Amino acid sequence: MKHLKAINNKAHLLDKALEQDKVEEVVAMTALAGCTATVDPGWEIDAFGGVSSLCQPMEADLYGCADPCWWPAQVPDTMNTYPDWNNESQNSREDWRHLDTVFPKDL
Amino acid sequence: MKTTPRNPVTALATAFTLSLTLAATASAATGPALVEGKEYMAVANYPDQLHVLDLETDTIYKTCHVPGAFAPAVIQISPDGSTAYVINNRFEDVHGIALDTCEVVFQASMSQRANERAKALFAISLSRDGSELYVIQTPTLLYSDHYRVQDPRFVVYDTAAGLDAKPIRSYPVPRQITVMQTADDGSIYMAGADIYKFDPHSGAIESAIVAREWDRPLYAPPDVLSVWPLQTPTRDFMTMYVTARFQDESYDIETADWIYGFMNVNLKTGETEVVDFAEAIEIYFTGMRSPKDRNLLYGVLNRLAKYDIEKQELLAVAELDHSYYVVFLNGDGSKVYLAGTWDNVAVYDADSLDKITNIRLPGGDMGTVTPQIFVR
Repeated sequence: MKHLKAINNKAHLLDKALEQDKVEEVVAMTALAGCTATVDPGWEIDAFGGVSSLCQPMEADLYGCADPCWWPAQVPDTMNTYPDWNNESQNSREDWRHLDTVFPKDL
Repeated sequence: MKTTPRNPVTALATAFTLSLTLAATASAATGPALVEGKEYMAVANYPDQLHVLDLETDTIYKTCHVPGAFAPAVIQISPDGSTAYVINNRFEDVHGIALDTCEVVFQASMSQRANERAKALFAISLSRDGSELYVIQTPTLLYSDHYRVQDPRFVVYDTAAGLDAKPIRSYPVPRQITVMQTADDGSIYMAGADIYKFDPHSGAIESAIVAREWDRPLYAPPDVLSVWPLQTPTRDFMTMYVTARFQDESYDIETADWIYGFMNVNLKTGETEVVDFAEAIEIYFTGMRSPKDRNLLYGVLNRLAKYDIEKQELLAVAELDHSYYVVFLNGDGSKVYLAGTWDNVAVYDADSLDKITNIRLPGGDMGTVTPQIFVR
């Protein structure tokens, strides 16, 4: 974490956990309370700082990243909260027009 | 907008009941029984399909249906080639499908309590005799005003337990284990912060390869992605890594060499390796050694690449129509199969990397599917 600087609340909480030696409680990808609890930011850039080693086209990566919460900020949480988001789009290349925005419901 | 309040316990119970109902009724057999001695590929795609491909003709041999929602479709094939075990239903179930008949012969819900939601990510394997199924679960307890993340657990099922199977043993395991495979001696190798060796009868765990904290002077820690538990014909359990090797102790990132390598466990012998095999010029999501020549390694994401491991030399590349996550070779190492992402399996000649064909799967995306090549 020494190369990363916290800039939002979730990141500040991670820093706090680090100080309290509670990293095990906030580790990524294995605490599936929902995608919003996932800290993986999605792959905006590849390992070389560019985009050529991101999936091509980006759409080929859509369900592979949405299903396991790899893109928690970019697509709805199909794992828990919006499981029906892509019901009308089984084939993302052909049916992508049916993918829509989601909004939190009043409880 | 007002909606009916969602009670997580009720929702879970409903999902559980629905899952059982589907499991009891789904037996949509299409296609003939498998032929003993023939080589096949099992692969799944949206919405609920499990295809068996004939690797002699590179065509769809038959299609079964798996109850429940699709993801993540992590497949493991029983040692006798008769049954496919699939993590599906949004990571919450494992279903066993008899491939000869398409009958659902096994089902286990990962959640074990009414207010628990447990997910199995990609860590699933079978004992060498096929009698036990192993899976790592990550549970969360759901309360009306808060959730409590629980420790991950390694859970053992009797594969003969049928539908609604219950765990017969359970042990704690470290967090962040993504995949695992069973060695010939019955121990389990797991990819996490280290490559662990785990005893499924006692829960004892030790480090087989030190990974995240490896002691390699002038090397940066390895960066890995390992979510496809491939049952390889070479019995290799391989985790590829990217790392930087610095020129000196100034650790100047600008002059560092970027390196691709792999950590490997030979599941037949338990021998471990950490091998740099190439300059890192692009990313591969999976790699596999050739069954024909263990010195040849194939990697894939945006291109299909073929390497000479000892010489650390890129031998050939093939441009692809789109990204694929998973590279697989058939048993004699003559053909390369690419799967994952969209809806088609691409087939390449392993020597020339010339494209042979595309097998279009009716239905939707393969997403994160873990396909398997096997002999019935």
